[in-house]
Amino acid sequence: MSFSQCWQVYRERPFWRLVELFVERIFRGGGDTDAEGVDLGVGLVLTLLAMPGGFVSVLLFDKYGSLLQWLRGQLNVDTLLISLPDEYFFIVLSMTVTGAVAVWRWDAMFPDRRDYMNLTHLPISSRTILFANLVAVLFLAALLAIDVNGASCVLFPMVVSAAQGTLPFFLKFAALHAAAVVLASVFAFFAVFSILGTLMALLPPTLFRRVSSYARGIVVVYLVTLLCTSFAVPDMLRRATAAAPPWSFFFPSAWFVSACQLLRNRANPAMAELARLCLPGLAGVIVVAIGAYATGYRRHFVKIAEIADNAVTLHKPKFSFSLLDKVLLSTPFLRGCFRFVTKTLMRSEAHRLVLTGVSGLTLVLASQALMNAFQGTPSWREAALTPDALSIPFIITFLLIIGLRVVFEIPVEIRANWVFQLLLDADGQESEPLARRIILTAILPWVLAGTFAAYFYLEGLAIASLHTVLLLVWSVLLTNILLIRFCKLPFTCSLPVFKQHSIVILISFCFGYLIYAGSTPEFEAAALREPLRMLELLPLVLVGWYVPRHFAKSAIEIERRMIFEESAPRTVEGLRLSE
Amino acid sequence: MLEAVQLTKRYSSIPAVQDLSFTLKPGQVLGCLGPNGSGKSTTVKMLTGLLEPSRGLVRFDGRNIQEDLTSYRAHLGYVPEEAYLYPYLTGWEYLEMVGTLRGMQRELMESKIDLLLELFSMRPARHAAMGTYSKGMRQRILLIAALMHDPEIFIFDEPLSGLDVTSALIFKNLVQALGKAGKMVFYCSHVLEVVEKVCTDVLILRRGTVIAHDSVANIGKILGASLENTFLHLVDDVDTIRVANDIVGVMRAA
Repeated sequence: MSFSQCWQVYRERPFWRLVELFVERIFRGGGDTDAEGVDLGVGLVLTLLAMPGGFVSVLLFDKYGSLLQWLRGQLNVDTLLISLPDEYFFIVLSMTVTGAVAVWRWDAMFPDRRDYMNLTHLPISSRTILFANLVAVLFLAALLAIDVNGASCVLFPMVVSAAQGTLPFFLKFAALHAAAVVLASVFAFFAVFSILGTLMALLPPTLFRRVSSYARGIVVVYLVTLLCTSFAVPDMLRRATAAAPPWSFFFPSAWFVSACQLLRNRANPAMAELARLCLPGLAGVIVVAIGAYATGYRRHFVKIAEIADNAVTLHKPKFSFSLLDKVLLSTPFLRGCFRFVTKTLMRSEAHRLVLTGVSGLTLVLASQALMNAFQGTPSWREAALTPDALSIPFIITFLLIIGLRVVFEIPVEIRANWVFQLLLDADGQESEPLARRIILTAILPWVLAGTFAAYFYLEGLAIASLHTVLLLVWSVLLTNILLIRFCKLPFTCSLPVFKQHSIVILISFCFGYLIYAGSTPEFEAAALREPLRMLELLPLVLVGWYVPRHFAKSAIEIERRMIFEESAPRTVEGLRLSE
Repeated sequence: MLEAVQLTKRYSSIPAVQDLSFTLKPGQVLGCLGPNGSGKSTTVKMLTGLLEPSRGLVRFDGRNIQEDLTSYRAHLGYVPEEAYLYPYLTGWEYLEMVGTLRGMQRELMESKIDLLLELFSMRPARHAAMGTYSKGMRQRILLIAALMHDPEIFIFDEPLSGLDVTSALIFKNLVQALGKAGKMVFYCSHVLEVVEKVCTDVLILRRGTVIAHDSVANIGKILGASLENTFLHLVDDVDTIRVANDIVGVMRAA
């Protein structure tokens, strides 16, 4: 009997039919609203999740290929030693991807109001629903652990053992690698699930709703930190010979890589100490997750009807837009849409999560730059003029501006955009000014004020002014470039389709980052000693100013119209002669 | 005056609405009836300018609305069939946004929103996220959004869906009052009794074409029957009594 036939028999039973329903809900979205989420389809989601591990493994051929090692003059290479950073990276990748999926599906992991309304009147006990959902969650954890790590479990050991060429080495390496990444994945999933369950178990439903998104944000920042530090941690672990450094206890990825090294007889005492946390930690999060799930379920699902009745109590927000209306928002379009966009940014969980992720990345990169600035420089004043310190506000503005620009593309409740289609003038060409105002008012005031204040205190008025003006000009130019031919109201248009030039855009972002947050502070560090050298940037500023204006002028009328649906350009346009 | 002139809409050469013509004068309340798939929603979307006709045009005060949709829509109040709203905005915020986008003066807008919320019994829930609203509450928010800028044309697409009895009664009287106030009302509904009661004229669609267009009184006179019987006579090929009995038969089958 094939698996599908076997499943057909099982799904006749109510319990397994419920499991199927809950698995589908977890993949296709949940929550209490009827919001139209980004439904990518199960197959595509699993493929996307499997890709990073596979890609990274393939990229490592260059490092482990014996011919390339020989060409580089690297003879007698200790494969296990050089594989430690990669092993650690795979563990972190596994945890990050799984953790991110768990955060993404956070709302869908517990039965929601829709389940309550559809299931509780049926002759099914509450306990059956509880267990069916738990089985669905466990299935998801197993599926993620296999899917996220499947490619790397095969490819990475193959790549590493290519130079060794012995089957026992390959098998042993593959088994330990698979165990480490799969257990790390399971750990990450249950860690997120236990945070969710614990919050549900401890907090009343209304408070949980408010706290939930902040908790998700913190988890995202933690995952980004884990990923960003993955290149430094293995080296620090290798050097910590005596005892495990205190910070490493907060990095579960370090526990798993240490356990892996211990089983390969390559662990130093610090790693051996960390390795001992691995299994108890895993067992701990699973127990907490399941315990908290059961308690949270009792508190929330069973009382959903009461929550619905009590949900209608909020206060009028106190923030006033009147000053912005007078200064920046001169037309009804700008006034109405500015409010809509800012409220969406503040309240839509999907958008907040993406922005939190970007903020986490910004925080990590800015912290690294700050740490680098203090290496070898004795005083704050000297450190402040190093390229690393000067780059901090550039890093912040670049990533946040790009982050906001990307977030604008994510639709929210797309079916509700009829109100804008009905009310807005599609030919008004106000989308771009609106987006510019939102980006610049959201980011620039506090970054510029902070930068000016810090440099005024440390270096005096002249340097503070120059640094702040350069930052302002660069931010405005970057915003203008990013908004070339932007003709949408943020959040109201369908997701952009993948185009052939999307990869070019991605590479341009990386290249742009190097210029904006790398080369500019380098130049600035030298130019601040001779301020007249700043004038050398003038041609670049003029080009940056001219290019977006040129694109705006050269756009034909149809390209300037506001759009609410992003569609792939048709290769063949029908003449519609029959109409 | 609003005129539909030979309106035709095709989706991939399949006609959804064909050669639909009518006029809507100030003070007139035109009911639009038809079974599912008869082209009511397509007609409404063309009248609001959300959909461009494949052929024909809609004229408002003698001008094709497609020539200047923005100024046409300033005269329009529209309540769509499905209450799709942004769930994280509060009712008050949504209405404030709509009023701002319509260019209403702030003080007037705020006072109107407050009063209309009160009249539609929505004041206690005005600062709650619309995601927590019932269908009827969302519908009332849409009604307020359509009324607050005092438009000349109203297009209601199934406006009573989800409304409680009191709100529905208020709304029926409101439609009549709007007609008496000289507004043009285009009213799409499945509820024949309501159309019969509140509309001055009726337009019956079937498979995208008009099969009857006259005053409610005249349509009844011609066939000597109520609007419900007239509608069934003109539109439905189905023996509804037989189908109902068949359903009971299937239900009781062992």
